[in-house]
Amino acid sequence: MPRLNSYRELEHLRERLREQRQDIATTVMICGGTGCQASRSLAVIDAVRKELSSQGLDKSVRLCATGCHGFCEQGPVMIIEPGNLFYCHVSPEDAFEIVSQTVVKGETIERLLYTDPVSGERFNTESEIPFYQAQDRQLLSQNLMVDPCSIEDYIAVGGYSALTKVLRGIAPEEIIKEIKSSGLRGRGGGGFPTARKWNECREAPGDEKYVVCNADEGDPGAYMDRCVLEGNPHLVLEGMMIGAWAVGARKGYVYVRNEYPLAVKHSRIAVQQARELGLFGDNILGSSFSFDVDIARGGGAFVCGESTALMASLEGKVGEPRPKDVHTVIDGLYHKPTVLNNVETWANVPAIILKGSSWFAAKGTPGSKGTKILALTGRIKNTGLVEVAMGTPIRTVLFDIGGGAVNGKAIKAVQIGGPSGGCLPVEKFDLAVDYDVLSEAGSMVGSGGMVVMDEESCMVDVAKYFLAFLQDESCGKCVPCRIGVDRMLEIVTDITEGRGRPEQIALLEELAETISQTALCGLGKTAPNPVLTTLRYFRPEYEAHIKEKKCHAGVCKSLITYSINPDKCTGCGICLRGCSHGAITGSKKQAHIIDALLCQKCGICRSECQFDAIQVV
Amino acid sequence: MLQRVNVNIDGAIIRATRGASVLNTAVEYGICIPHLCHVSNLSDIGACRLCIVEHVVNGRSNITTSCTLNVEEGMVIMSNTEKVRKLRRNLAELLVAQAPNSRAIQDIAVRCGVKEVRYPFRNDNCVLCGRCVRVCSEVWKAKAIGFVGRGNARHVDHPFGVRPDFCKQCGSCVQLCPMTITPCDGPMKPGEERLCGNCESQLMISEKTPGSCTWCKLGESFACGRYA
Repeated sequence: MPRLNSYRELEHLRERLREQRQDIATTVMICGGTGCQASRSLAVIDAVRKELSSQGLDKSVRLCATGCHGFCEQGPVMIIEPGNLFYCHVSPEDAFEIVSQTVVKGETIERLLYTDPVSGERFNTESEIPFYQAQDRQLLSQNLMVDPCSIEDYIAVGGYSALTKVLRGIAPEEIIKEIKSSGLRGRGGGGFPTARKWNECREAPGDEKYVVCNADEGDPGAYMDRCVLEGNPHLVLEGMMIGAWAVGARKGYVYVRNEYPLAVKHSRIAVQQARELGLFGDNILGSSFSFDVDIARGGGAFVCGESTALMASLEGKVGEPRPKDVHTVIDGLYHKPTVLNNVETWANVPAIILKGSSWFAAKGTPGSKGTKILALTGRIKNTGLVEVAMGTPIRTVLFDIGGGAVNGKAIKAVQIGGPSGGCLPVEKFDLAVDYDVLSEAGSMVGSGGMVVMDEESCMVDVAKYFLAFLQDESCGKCVPCRIGVDRMLEIVTDITEGRGRPEQIALLEELAETISQTALCGLGKTAPNPVLTTLRYFRPEYEAHIKEKKCHAGVCKSLITYSINPDKCTGCGICLRGCSHGAITGSKKQAHIIDALLCQKCGICRSECQFDAIQVV
Repeated sequence: MLQRVNVNIDGAIIRATRGASVLNTAVEYGICIPHLCHVSNLSDIGACRLCIVEHVVNGRSNITTSCTLNVEEGMVIMSNTEKVRKLRRNLAELLVAQAPNSRAIQDIAVRCGVKEVRYPFRNDNCVLCGRCVRVCSEVWKAKAIGFVGRGNARHVDHPFGVRPDFCKQCGSCVQLCPMTITPCDGPMKPGEERLCGNCESQLMISEKTPGSCTWCKLGESFACGRYA
């Protein structure tokens, strides 16, 4: 494709692409995101493509492998236009039926439609499904419309028009003012006002400045940045270009972790395409603005998501944080003023410029504006990505969108914001997803990961899991994080293994305060949060572990014993065959017995038993 | 000409050199702030966190390390408040539990007011203060040793675990190591895991950090900025 030299050429290209697309009546959009790829969506895409060409439809039907649709639980998912038919759990074997019935005749295949697990109702389109109804999908809905490897798709749906608008006559100060009145705050965790960051960087002395996109998403259970970057990389790049124009940067970096191969691949293709079109390079679209982006891959250290560690890693040094007495907006990458924003923050920028700050500010609460993508994982029915307006209560997210706990259990807590966030109990579910509200409750919006726990989760064990994660991922530079978190883990392990002493709770609290006050970087400072919030909301569980030496959730192996209830056991022998340690004995149709000495408490018998006869005390 | 700025450290108005760190300024003027990883003329990394102070900005106090904080006009620093002493004591307790045989670390712990250690002792020989690594790379430009690994696995080693030719065995690393200042003999034996308090550390008489510099023996052996 020829290089675009002016705004008009971009508009011409857009019109031409739109005309081309108007002729195509039917579009099949299949999710090619990492989640659906894991459930064989690539094979589905191949099968549908083969089927289309064997029926001679490959010219008149557009097949589009899009980014993540969000409903990963139901993957692979597919949408067929016209009619917006939504099919889920599609397999390659369905390809023939889909093409010959739905694409050719326009008939609906009932068995592929989404069935509500509660009411048993079938829904034809996405917008009717309860999971999507309560959402406000500003960023995720754009994933459906474009093939992430095609800049033409992105331009056809209006891509890079925010950039044109900016370059044609919005002064950098005006952009910052617009972002400021939109109230956009950093989506990566801290919630720092984006406009303030940009303004400080703009006013910092020096000609050479950088913009960096932080796509080093390491929180367990969070994958919204991956989804946006691999599903719509041009949106992020356009946001970065606008940011670069606003702060006066000529060079940008996308720091993406190597564990996201699809995001790396798609963002590289996107940068290449943008360069070929002349959207990156010198004198973009004939203006005075020059900008280019490089993709840098991270080696998978959690700590490299911290701003100074990320910049050290970008410079080729060891990814370790340094003291931030001078902020990175003044002394950042290569000691130059640098704006570092999260993927989601950058992705929000083009829409704010196009639709205006008042459109963005109309959503959300006084302190937190716009929408936020949340990753619902754990013991919940509808796992996947959820985008809601700020201020939506947690209850709505968990029950209306998430559908409640699996297997009819009761939800006990939700961990919001990854390892740096905190566990909130059921009583706090009326709180809104809002930076200030959640941090007051001891948690934080963070990156937006929501790990749901039900009554079979032990909160002390959850705290232990997060501590083990943080201890493993600590860079080890400063004493409070390296030794302090290790000591907290030691104490919590003692508690879960029955060696806990009552005075250790006070010690945990004192240690947590020391770490949060004195650690070097933000990750260290927030490392005690999982323990602090579980202690605040679930203290009786800690006390039960210490005083009664009991784990009521039946998780901590040292504190539980398995036994068989003779009244319920029918002697079917399933548990006997399933036990890999030979701990269960009994003859047919007689109640079986577990030998406590041989039992390894793996829980296989409990999950195999059809009669609920295995007790854990 | 050196530019001067006025800073307030613990109530004393000090005319400090612009660009100097708060720790250096305080020590130079005889205010004792305990420190471990800081060595004069080496860069500061803020690893041990012992030199924390309260930095008051617009009426709000932040806890920060004084070695990485540079003096600025009108700065207000408090190095010896109840809050700072408590945090510093907890940090020193973590350190001494990690390396109980180092008399230097015992002494620092005593200075910071540690009277009992509430954690099981570990007999580590290194607290990763990074003095050796920095003297090797900054003074001798050799980079013959560096940090390897992350978190608990972090340790000091030669590149790829082999002593390179450019290590001249000058011994600077050994000289600055807090573990080599006459350590106690051997690791703690099972059943005898306690700090005896009989050596120069005088654990029994531990008290809060003196606010003013006493030109102590610890500082001399430990390359405190006052003696440099």
